[in-house]
Amino acid sequence: MYLTMRHAYLEIATLEESHVGKLSAALAHGALKGARGNSGVILSQIFAGTAKALDGHARLTAPLLADACRMAVDAAYNAVDKPVEGTILTVSRQMMEAVLKRQQEEHDLIALLKSMVFAGRAALRHTPELLPVLKKAGVVDSGGAGLIYIFEGMLRSLCGKALVVDGDLLVSDSAETWQDALVPEDELGYGYDVQFLMRGDNLNIDNVRKDINAMGWSTLVVGDNKLIKVHVHVHNPGDPLAYAINLGATLDDIVVENMQRQYEEYVEKREQREDHVRLDISGVAVITVASGDGLRELFSQQLNAAHVISGGQTMNPSTGDFLNAINALPNTDIILLPNNKNVILAAQQAAANAVGKNVRVISSTTIPQGIATMFEYVNLCSQEHCTLDEIVDAMSGVLGDVITCEITNATRDAEFDGVQVRAGQYIGLINDRLTISGDDITQVARDLLQTAGAKRSERITLYYGSDATEAQANRLADTLMLDFGRQEFEVVYGGQALYPYIISVE
Amino acid sequence: MTFKKIRFVTDSTSDIPEELVKQHHIGIVPAFVNYGGSSYADDGVELIREDYYNRLSSIRPFPTTSAPPPGLAEQVIKETFEDADHIVIVTAASKLSGIYNTMRLGASSLPQDRVTLIDSLSTTMGLGWQVIIGAEVAEQTGDPRQVEAAILKVRAAQRVFAAIGAMEFLHRSGRVGWAAASLGTLLQIKPVIEVKDGEVDSIAKVRTFARAIEVLVKLTREVAPLDRLAILFASDTEGAEKLSEELRDIAPPNTIFVSVNPAIGTHIGPSGLGVAPVQQSWRT
Repeated sequence: MYLTMRHAYLEIATLEESHVGKLSAALAHGALKGARGNSGVILSQIFAGTAKALDGHARLTAPLLADACRMAVDAAYNAVDKPVEGTILTVSRQMMEAVLKRQQEEHDLIALLKSMVFAGRAALRHTPELLPVLKKAGVVDSGGAGLIYIFEGMLRSLCGKALVVDGDLLVSDSAETWQDALVPEDELGYGYDVQFLMRGDNLNIDNVRKDINAMGWSTLVVGDNKLIKVHVHVHNPGDPLAYAINLGATLDDIVVENMQRQYEEYVEKREQREDHVRLDISGVAVITVASGDGLRELFSQQLNAAHVISGGQTMNPSTGDFLNAINALPNTDIILLPNNKNVILAAQQAAANAVGKNVRVISSTTIPQGIATMFEYVNLCSQEHCTLDEIVDAMSGVLGDVITCEITNATRDAEFDGVQVRAGQYIGLINDRLTISGDDITQVARDLLQTAGAKRSERITLYYGSDATEAQANRLADTLMLDFGRQEFEVVYGGQALYPYIISVE
Repeated sequence: MTFKKIRFVTDSTSDIPEELVKQHHIGIVPAFVNYGGSSYADDGVELIREDYYNRLSSIRPFPTTSAPPPGLAEQVIKETFEDADHIVIVTAASKLSGIYNTMRLGASSLPQDRVTLIDSLSTTMGLGWQVIIGAEVAEQTGDPRQVEAAILKVRAAQRVFAAIGAMEFLHRSGRVGWAAASLGTLLQIKPVIEVKDGEVDSIAKVRTFARAIEVLVKLTREVAPLDRLAILFASDTEGAEKLSEELRDIAPPNTIFVSVNPAIGTHIGPSGLGVAPVQQSWRT
């Protein structure tokens, strides 16, 4: 959807034009050229329907917007042979209905757009109830979410607001595991994803749609008598390509992807990460979350975590991932250690839904906090009599004993908590709060430690990520030692993505 | 039964303060510290502990400790035995040091019914308290069997805990198996150690010395009420003062500060601190 939207944007980005009909046509043309994936193709049809409605109009009015919505949704539903509810289609339809309902008494376009976005959000939240595969995976429909982002972006732009993304959409309380969610629609497997453009003089889109639909599934055929975009999932990619050639069309932008292999690779990769459940831990077991092979090994080998779920900063594990690990362990008493504020909720839901086990959550929000609590765990577990409550108390008791500093790159210009940041700059966080930005990583690290009060600490540990080398990390430690001479430094390989350094101050 | 004159021999790892050594006429066999190609007796003359700890960080290759030669042990034992009816020899744990065996050899020419040889299963003041309390009982009762019984009770009621300042020293000492094993760990640890049943064990692994001291205080509180308490230090007298402050409410009036022996000090490093409490329960 992103790529579709990008092509649409590029088509109008350089256009010196305020005629809404012409702008809309250009947008639709760009979207159709760049459309990818189911949702992307449907989006291109939404723009195509809009362009049809606005054709010849220089300015947008409330009744015109209502017409555009209606034709956009018609086009979207026509794009697919068998419309499925609980997808971008449902979301777009309910957005349209909100406009149709209000346009009689409301003529302010911004107010109408606001109604559209709110209606869309409500529809999106409801998608898991309409589409079982979403409910199983514990997510909302991604195409619908994308559509809302696009319209919310328009609304924000009109209101002069920053384009900040709200990342709290993926919440569900009834998730099953990722394996269940990934079972292919077709019993022969995932097959191939085939996409191409057909160019010709007198193409019959209805016939093409019917014929392509007979070849496979997830079919999308859109366009006009000169240009048709085809998207289909088939077992033999030769079928739709040969068909299009035989119609006399010239083909363009052909993309064939082996989805079965993608699926198998994904499963294999994910299972490699998931398989290390330690069965040798007696008594209370800990399931934690970390990204990076170094950090995972640290938790599992030295700190005796029974299982380390891969994730955290880039990919938040689901309730299902936690439940999976809980069920895989023979232990009855289990502690979940999320190490990230965005993972705590999923952990709590897993704890509440675990059957026949005592599961508790320690609300650790950073990796160093997680490590500090694990030292308490290791010490208590080596004693003979130790209850789950005692261990939870001891672990919770040290959450405040460590200060976490993190360094990463800003992905865009922004201002947070009074700190100005340009895209590409290094930013420093103390206990998850943005504190410092700068171009020199050494300076950012030094300022960060200074602000964190590291001079009063005893030990400073640098966990370097996949974006930093051991030599770089050692050099950084050597430089920092000049300012923090009384502290003990330790450089440890973390392997985490995105954050070159996670620094713990104890 | 006649009141017997009982004398005591132990080794320098007992860390008994000088005035108590004099008061109870205790014979001390020095252990040896080896570095720079020479061997030094830990007798306060050849080796001054304060100077030694100040230099420890710069001594390379790393110092080692060794048991005294049997000849020296025999000499001290015989001198102490000269004016006594019975001699009680209490030594550093046989699992930790060759001193027990050296003492056994040193006492082998004496009439064995007048010798009591006891493995303290400990070291530093865990051993020291067994000797001191044994001497007190000897002075009251003159009865070797009551003395032996008292020492065995103290042996069961004493503990030695220490917080290691820097792991480097424990690793280099090469004496402790688990310490060598922990060299390979991904994150450094600062263990709290206990001398128990003649072995050095890690009983808590923490990340900072400050936390190690907290654990030390907690462990000491758990064994209160105390009959005796020694605060052990290598060169950090300030830290030892602070530690005793933390324990003020449970410390008995005769609490002493002890410069720990090089065998332990070389393990825990110059900044290490420890405690050697004896539980009141030994009297029951």
